[in-house]
Amino acid sequence: MCTGRVDPALVAEAFKKGLDGLLVVGCYFGDCHYITGNHQAKAKMDMTRRLFKHIGMNEERLAFRQCSSGEASVFVKVVSEFDEKIRSLGPLGGDSDPVKAPEIFKKIEAAQAVLAGEKIRWVIGKRTPFLESGNMYGEIFTEHEFNRAIDMIIVEEMEVQEILAGLKSGSRSIKDLSKDLAIPSERVFRYITALKRKGMVALDKVAGRSPIFQLVPQEV
Amino acid sequence: MEDKKVLIVGGGIDGVSVALEEAAAGAQVTIVEKFPTLGAERIPRDRLIKPEDAFINPDLNKVRNDNNVSILTYSDLKKVNRDNGKVQAKILKHSLRVDNSKCNDCKACIKVCPVNMFDDFDESFSFRTAVDYFNPATGEYNIFKEDMPVCQQACPVNLDIRTYVGQIADGKYLASLATIRDRLPLPGSIGRVCPHPCETACNRQYLDEPISICFLKRYVADVELNGGIEPVYETPAKKLPEKIAIIGAGPAGLTCAYHLAREGYENITIYETLPVPGGYLWVGIPEYRLPKKLLQREVDLIANMGIDIQYNKRIGKDISFEDLKNNNDAIFIGAGCHRGLKLRAPGEDEYEGKGIVDCVTFLRDQALGNPIETKGKLIVIGGGNAAIDSARVGWRMGFDEVYILYRRTKKEMPANPWEIDAAEHEGVIIQYLAAPVEILGKDGRVSGMKCIKMELGEPDASGRRRPVPIEGSEYVIDAETIVPALSQATNLEFLGENHGLDINRWNTFDIDEETGATNVQGVFAGGDVVTGPDIAIRAVAAGKKAAEGIHEYLRSR
Repeated sequence: MCTGRVDPALVAEAFKKGLDGLLVVGCYFGDCHYITGNHQAKAKMDMTRRLFKHIGMNEERLAFRQCSSGEASVFVKVVSEFDEKIRSLGPLGGDSDPVKAPEIFKKIEAAQAVLAGEKIRWVIGKRTPFLESGNMYGEIFTEHEFNRAIDMIIVEEMEVQEILAGLKSGSRSIKDLSKDLAIPSERVFRYITALKRKGMVALDKVAGRSPIFQLVPQEV
Repeated sequence: MEDKKVLIVGGGIDGVSVALEEAAAGAQVTIVEKFPTLGAERIPRDRLIKPEDAFINPDLNKVRNDNNVSILTYSDLKKVNRDNGKVQAKILKHSLRVDNSKCNDCKACIKVCPVNMFDDFDESFSFRTAVDYFNPATGEYNIFKEDMPVCQQACPVNLDIRTYVGQIADGKYLASLATIRDRLPLPGSIGRVCPHPCETACNRQYLDEPISICFLKRYVADVELNGGIEPVYETPAKKLPEKIAIIGAGPAGLTCAYHLAREGYENITIYETLPVPGGYLWVGIPEYRLPKKLLQREVDLIANMGIDIQYNKRIGKDISFEDLKNNNDAIFIGAGCHRGLKLRAPGEDEYEGKGIVDCVTFLRDQALGNPIETKGKLIVIGGGNAAIDSARVGWRMGFDEVYILYRRTKKEMPANPWEIDAAEHEGVIIQYLAAPVEILGKDGRVSGMKCIKMELGEPDASGRRRPVPIEGSEYVIDAETIVPALSQATNLEFLGENHGLDINRWNTFDIDEETGATNVQGVFAGGDVVTGPDIAIRAVAAGKKAAEGIHEYLRSR
């Protein structure tokens, strides 16, 4: 399989299952049988590392390295270096990660939903055209701008996914969600209204003075 | 009144009702609305409100069905011409950024839109996405995009700052420089001297401090310079034959020539009075702020596009303005403001040239290497950048003591604050709240100046507090040289008589804001000669605008 097809959501699945490190090894740039597969892999893994850093995981646990299939010694070197690195980091959610177990696994679950979501996948897929040929209007973005946009999406999508995960167990009010997730209530409110517009959340009932929101099941 | 046509700008409730009134009176009405919808109809906040249940101003259907009313939404009023009791308006209609013929309202775009923005419908109470349905009547989608970032809006030439700063962040220095040069041919010079209105506007300052937009420009220009890369400014292969004369090789004139050469004009001549290019960039701004070598290189790059720069050619003396007009298809006047204003204090005329030198002459003489006597004390009067430049230059030239007299306080001083700090740091003595009363002389030379202390009174028309003299607080500073640096004005003697150009009471040209055209056909003007003393980047903007105006004029002749 081409490294370009390594799905970031699968990467998150691996960490969710308790893996401590993941190494993706692709071909050298210019050697790709599918021309741009390894470039796509690099872009996806870079984005995934940004997300892992944001959720409080040591992003060194995910690495993208390159070597050719004929270079046995290089492969051995890459793998043993990475092995050493992960051994020094210790188990996931331990001392080397800002967020400890078991909270980290909750975060990884939300991160997996982000990575499986349409928004970030569509944007990362548009990376090359945005940076090189521009959008429909010929507006070319700089890498800096693109990364900033990705960072913004990561922050927002994480919060949205945490809210959706919080609603999965039953209808909640904005105040409760804000308290549980440690997200300021005005932000929760904005996300809820945005989700309502998208038809993903709806008003369940009004308890006392608080509106209670529920999930709307989505067609797949 | 059968062909009465009415243009209504703004499609709010009032606009719509006035439109109906005018249409009922038999006029042909056009409504121009900035937003994609007429004002009284709103984006439903969510689809809980079905369009048929939503409150909609009943006038809207009337106005839409009225045959005498045409509606232009998502349009901007660009320009209004008044002529002979009639008004002609230029309107830009934006196109929607979504092909609505292919849209089936699946809302997938809203789900994946990466841009969450504050909803302007409910005063930013909630989020909405950049792509959105906006018109309950037609169900059309559009992508909202702001016109320009604030820095780009603040920049007189509208440099694409976001792109060039982003390219520097990506490490693509030469690409960044190319982006800058698309609009500004003097990145190294402007990057050193610009008072950067862009940084004043920068949103980052609310977090910590503004992005150093100006010095980033200098940085990429220096990368090229230090890397020994010699760029070539491209001109198109298809040449245009018209002859164009440009008066003044300052930032306005050079930029105008640069943009005209990029259009393909090959007979461009710049006439410059001084033996050096750059105008004030050369003879006003001191070497320590802008090295002459660097300026010369940037001018050479422009001149290498096939532009002829004739030095020591004073219009009105070497060539008459009349001849210039007859021998060229178009003229651009970018002569600048090279006359220092007088102090109007007793003794000034008596000692003119005998110790009193206005700052324009003072700075020009030192820039051109003309001899200046540098003994004793120097007093500079004024609080602008020209005053600080004169003082710092004087300090470097070897005056024993250098004073700056300013009649208000440091807070009101118009000079760049970092320049004031640097001058104080170097040892220039700045006396705030002090004004000149009389120039004193001995044996036909200046020997000192009588000053008076001031205090700040009520705010005046400019919003700054008016300085009021304190009775009986006069004192004398001994000095050998006095440099008034109050302000500068234009010197339009070169036009000769019967030039027929409109000149206003500030002795500057009245021009068309869009094209830089004066009232005389084929004559354009821009820069300080139009605005009065102003910053270099605004002169660059005027030069660019005039180049576009000249191109439009010559091609439509």
